[in-house]
Amino acid sequence: MPAPSSRPSAVQAVLARDKLGTLSLLHFSLTAATPLTVIAGGVVVMFALAGQIGIPLGYLIIAACLWLFSVGYTTMSRHITNAGAFYAFIARGIGRIPGVAAAWVAATAYCAMQISLFGLLGLTAEGVMARMGLDAPWWACALVAWLLIGLLGTRAVDINAKVLAILLLVEIAVILLFSASNFANAADGVPLAAMSPSTLGGEAAGAMLALAVTGFIGFESPTVYGEEAKDRRRTVARATLATVGILAFIYIASSWSIIAAVGADNVVEAAIADPSLMFTLAGDQLGAPWAVIGEVMLLTSVTAAALSFHNTTARYLFALGRERVAPAWLGRTSPRTSSPAAASLTQTVVSGVVIIAWAALGLDPLVHLFFYMSTSAGIGLLALIATCAVAVVVYFARDRRGESLWATRIAPVLAVVALLWVLYLSVLHFHTLLGVEKGSTLPALVPILFAGLAVLGAAWGAYLKWGRPDVYAGIGHGAKAALVTEASEPVGVAGGR
Amino acid sequence: MPDAPSTRLVYDTLLITSLDDVYKPATSTRVTGLGIGAALLAELVLSQHLTVWANKGVDLLCFDERFRPPSDSLALWLVEHVRAERTSLSVRDWLEFLSAADVYTKTAEHMVMLGIMVRREYRSRWRQRVEVGYEPADALIANAVFSRLRRHLSTSEPSISVEDAFLLALTEAVGLAKPLYHQFPSGARVYAGQRRQALPAPLRAVLAHLAATVADIAITGGR
Repeated sequence: MPAPSSRPSAVQAVLARDKLGTLSLLHFSLTAATPLTVIAGGVVVMFALAGQIGIPLGYLIIAACLWLFSVGYTTMSRHITNAGAFYAFIARGIGRIPGVAAAWVAATAYCAMQISLFGLLGLTAEGVMARMGLDAPWWACALVAWLLIGLLGTRAVDINAKVLAILLLVEIAVILLFSASNFANAADGVPLAAMSPSTLGGEAAGAMLALAVTGFIGFESPTVYGEEAKDRRRTVARATLATVGILAFIYIASSWSIIAAVGADNVVEAAIADPSLMFTLAGDQLGAPWAVIGEVMLLTSVTAAALSFHNTTARYLFALGRERVAPAWLGRTSPRTSSPAAASLTQTVVSGVVIIAWAALGLDPLVHLFFYMSTSAGIGLLALIATCAVAVVVYFARDRRGESLWATRIAPVLAVVALLWVLYLSVLHFHTLLGVEKGSTLPALVPILFAGLAVLGAAWGAYLKWGRPDVYAGIGHGAKAALVTEASEPVGVAGGR
Repeated sequence: MPDAPSTRLVYDTLLITSLDDVYKPATSTRVTGLGIGAALLAELVLSQHLTVWANKGVDLLCFDERFRPPSDSLALWLVEHVRAERTSLSVRDWLEFLSAADVYTKTAEHMVMLGIMVRREYRSRWRQRVEVGYEPADALIANAVFSRLRRHLSTSEPSISVEDAFLLALTEAVGLAKPLYHQFPSGARVYAGQRRQALPAPLRAVLAHLAATVADIAITGGR
């Protein structure tokens, strides 16, 4: 049908003008990660909980696992629709029923991760307010942030991205400054022992690795923009691998710098004694105002992290609504802002209910909300990534689709082995992560909860296969479900006006 | 309210998507462009200047080989672009192109010439420069299109035009389902769904791509 023409294509030029390069994708993925929250809120806690100094090595191992995973993941993303959601990979790789199971786990884990951050946020805000001579309970501060995130969530995602980008740049600058200062004021020189494999053993290894994984969440974002990338084959892969590399550098450098500043022998005790160790060090080395700057930056960083997880949860719920796997109203957009408004509001309501419930029951925001919920969500997300890695292997086992052996067989298989090993260790050492005794009920409860969710999701998927085959056909296609489920049975329409 | 004289799908789409009132918000600029683009494609499919051709799972837009130029300059502009392409592009690409090529302004200028819209110049408060906007010449006529669609839903008319069946589905696809079905029983959605299913396959394909593109904007933020 196409007509031969010698004229240059104006259409292709206009379409190419809006395509995204590696740096643009990197911007989106890095804004989905909030490194100061991970370092100030997570690394110091990891030193205290694990009682080990192998955290930089833990980040290195996880970065290597995720790099291996990314090779197959980004390759598969070129061949499927809705390539921004892990459950879509699972649906296309293993099957639609496991896909629905994964979607339920994913939505719950992302939502729980977002809600957990309100505990840290409320507590940090309470501390900052106290420095200013103001007295406000943690839950009041959390509710203010909740309202802000709820409002931003119903706006266009690009507005959020601009806010997140500015916060990220300031965050990275502060982290690098603090890390450089720590190395410049090292207690016993650069502690090379921290990178020794012997530092990552015992009961706490799994706990450290599970927490390390949560710091990288957001690395998967470039695939969301795959169709808008300049070169879908290279741009997305480069951006994903660069995200893992940049985050790994920041996490390893900053966690190593804390060990250098305090000393390998003292860092665990120091972290137990002072949860704000990173800012205390900055205050001692750079001057007291820098500790306050750090705490304020942590506040904005946690808010940005909560906004980022809010967007991800809303995106999952929206895609499920569009597929009609979840209620269809979740797939509604706001006409004015084109945001997934119904899904965003749903996530906001759920998080608001949890904050109010925690406040009403008088539960501890740090232990019962932040630690318990974020670590539990971390296990769920780790299981999700590991299952996605299996899906990549299965997908390419059927057909390599012209891709290389490394990208379709070797790297994905290595990623599966590595991630399942990390998941096994994490579940085994989960009691350390929660800070409870081995054999307690809670560490067993969380994996059971996620397994239960997966079973319920699978049962729902099986029902859809039997009772609603049109919906079943669209599972895993997200925004493009309409293209798959579009039926074609004319029943007669009067022609013309 | 009396029906406005039937005009064109693109004009009706512009009035539905770009104008807001107390009952219905306007859609975002990009979604408005996509909606008008889908309507323009639908017009040309109905007039048999263009067709949608499914090839290896991709819906491609092709021009009819028995080419005869459309009489309308807006339609001619698009058909010339389709002809100029060495290979057929997907419906999604054409929707993206039409939105990026500001099909809204082109359509609005047409409507100005016909006296349906009025061109207004105003000074931007923030940028302090003259900007151009378009307003309906008659608010009642502008609102009549949406009212006509709601009347179809309220009476569940068994036989409506292809254009109105397309507009019903388009209104839902651009995210205006809530005002469209406001205070109607669930039967209204079933009715609209049946009208959509009854549309010719190429129009359904255009609508499905429109819905998918709008959903993608919700996920990616439209950057």
